[in-house]
Amino acid sequence: MSEARKAIEVSGISKQYGSATVVDDVTFDVFEGEIFGFLGPNGAGKTTLVRMLTTLIAPSRGSAKVAGCDVVKEPAAVRRLIGVIPQAMTSDTDLTGYENMDIYGRFYGIPAKERKERIQYLLEKVGLSARANDLVAAYSGGMRRRLEVARVLVHRPRILFLDEPTSGLDPQSRRAVWEQLNIIRQESAMTLFLTTHYMEEAEALCTRVAIIDAGKIVILGSPQELKQHLPGKDTVSLALGKFSDTIGDSVKNLPFVHQLFAENNNIRIAVDSGASDLPAIMDVIRAAGGKILSATIHERSLEDVFIHFTGRSIRDEGPKKVSLLSPGMPRMPGR
Amino acid sequence: MNNLRERALRLFAVVDRDWKKFRRNPIVIAMSVLMPIVYLMILGNSFQGKLIGLPLAIVNQDSGPYARSVLDNLRAIESGPKTLVTHIVVDETTAVAGVRTGLYKAALIIPPYFSRKIVVKANPEVGFFVDNTDDISAQTLRGAVNGAIGAVSSDFVPIRERADQAHLRDVALYRQVDYFQSLVPGVVIMAIFLGAMTTGVFNIVMDRFVGVEEAYLLTPLTKSDIVSGLIISGLSITTAVAVLVLAISMVITGIPLTGSIGQYALLLLLIVFTTLSLLSLMFAILGRAKHPRIVGVMSGFMNVILFFPSGAVYPIASLPGWLQWLARINPEAYAVDALKAVLFKGSGLATVLVDIAFLAIFTTVMMVTAIALFKRTL
Repeated sequence: MSEARKAIEVSGISKQYGSATVVDDVTFDVFEGEIFGFLGPNGAGKTTLVRMLTTLIAPSRGSAKVAGCDVVKEPAAVRRLIGVIPQAMTSDTDLTGYENMDIYGRFYGIPAKERKERIQYLLEKVGLSARANDLVAAYSGGMRRRLEVARVLVHRPRILFLDEPTSGLDPQSRRAVWEQLNIIRQESAMTLFLTTHYMEEAEALCTRVAIIDAGKIVILGSPQELKQHLPGKDTVSLALGKFSDTIGDSVKNLPFVHQLFAENNNIRIAVDSGASDLPAIMDVIRAAGGKILSATIHERSLEDVFIHFTGRSIRDEGPKKVSLLSPGMPRMPGR
Repeated sequence: MNNLRERALRLFAVVDRDWKKFRRNPIVIAMSVLMPIVYLMILGNSFQGKLIGLPLAIVNQDSGPYARSVLDNLRAIESGPKTLVTHIVVDETTAVAGVRTGLYKAALIIPPYFSRKIVVKANPEVGFFVDNTDDISAQTLRGAVNGAIGAVSSDFVPIRERADQAHLRDVALYRQVDYFQSLVPGVVIMAIFLGAMTTGVFNIVMDRFVGVEEAYLLTPLTKSDIVSGLIISGLSITTAVAVLVLAISMVITGIPLTGSIGQYALLLLLIVFTTLSLLSLMFAILGRAKHPRIVGVMSGFMNVILFFPSGAVYPIASLPGWLQWLARINPEAYAVDALKAVLFKGSGLATVLVDIAFLAIFTTVMMVTAIALFKRTL
């Protein structure tokens, strides 16, 4: 990996709005050809980071090079080499799908003949050829997103930034966008940088993931590497009638239980083997007077990684109070 | 060379996008032409129009010939210019009460012995009770009644002018311009103002508001591509609308189409420069606005401070000193001055060169300010 060329180099970048530090001293590299994911809850600073890397806002401190060009000193050069799909829908509803792409191609100075061929090819790829001459106002959310995926590729960018590319889409449209991103990847050696708050998305697409929380990178690595930091092998999720500290303590005392995370009346327990450990856990909970509503065993996911390193579930979007009952929650790997 | 081609491609893409969006909103196009014309019709009929059918109560307590003569004169006005409608009322109390309730605009009381007093030259008087809250109607009625009475008391009208008296003889330098026609330059300015408000900078504010701007800022478009592109599209759209409005209002008000090709070219040139100056002014003011509501509020404000001290409705000479100062830096004032000269006096380029020079300098200053103030970041 160290021999690969760097597509993005970020060192100590920060963004401050008044007294609030939205992005706090973030440093990382993305290598060419990678699909790099920034995973974090809403408000973690993902969009601000993308906007700094794509020249839309100036960093307060630190620096970043994208495709070898400094984002502050050479913004125009950066813009020619990157493609960005912002979080919000940015296609023009008063124009047709084709016109949206055509105007974009002209912004990049692509000659007419080449532009036409490229647009037709891309519209075909995202399955919008038949609707190319319809106004975007008549498109569904998923179609608009696909058009934006096609539009951003008109000028063959070297690095593609996607800010929450599937946010607000239904699961079916989301999978369609993933498929398209994979097709794009297979066709060109483009580097992809995406932000998401969907675990499945990061896991399905990314070669490496950085988990960001409150403006800081918490941990960075491939999804497999990140999961190796977790204690145990499986996760058991239980929905209880009523959770209490007594129940928590008795579960934690079991020898095969590595960690327990409780949120409301739901608990996630890191264990050695879900199938063989679950009955014992259920016995202990019932003995402590608890009522079990449902139980699930699943492989560890990035969700567990996020909880492990931040002490919070990614689903909650505010600073909701959760009880941390794991014995000495490690902030860093190495148990 | 390649760079120049790319730049042209980018700039024209901004222009083309705006044209397409404008074309897809036919209501905006129709309104842009219709509104200034409607404005002309309403403004033209709102001020300085002739008052017709003002109800006047008359109480005649005199049976002499002069009172009858006054009545005849008033009836002549009633059937001629139709300024008033006479109502003969029996007693003074009813007449005055009628004025108070709004039945009549005024009551004329011709007292007993009115005719006799005229004959013996004993200061004849009539009573005139008037609703003085409606000043314009009151003045008009007073004028009409004065005329009717005055004509009675002068026994003869000299046919010849007196040889020992100096006389003023009007020499009209130009064709007669009626009030309706005099509003045409203002209406064209109004069309340009509306165009400058709904094209140009408005598009960037709208893009910002709906969140589309972000995608444009991510492309190689430069600040001057965005600002000049939108000004070019705004200029072409607004000029087309303003020319149409000018043509329609010339037909409606009957301004004769006798000008030379050169004069029409000059009118077009004036419209172009006026449009440029207003578009760039709006860009300098609203280049950073984030909400279309700000454009709405500003357009109302700008319209008042630009249009009224422009000389379009009332002469600039009538304004107090500080407002005249405002008129001196007001592009609309120069535009009105030049349009009036070309439309009504048939003036050529030499006469309006100062106006054009001002508009050109104004545009340059505003464009530079607009590009400097425009932020190419979020």
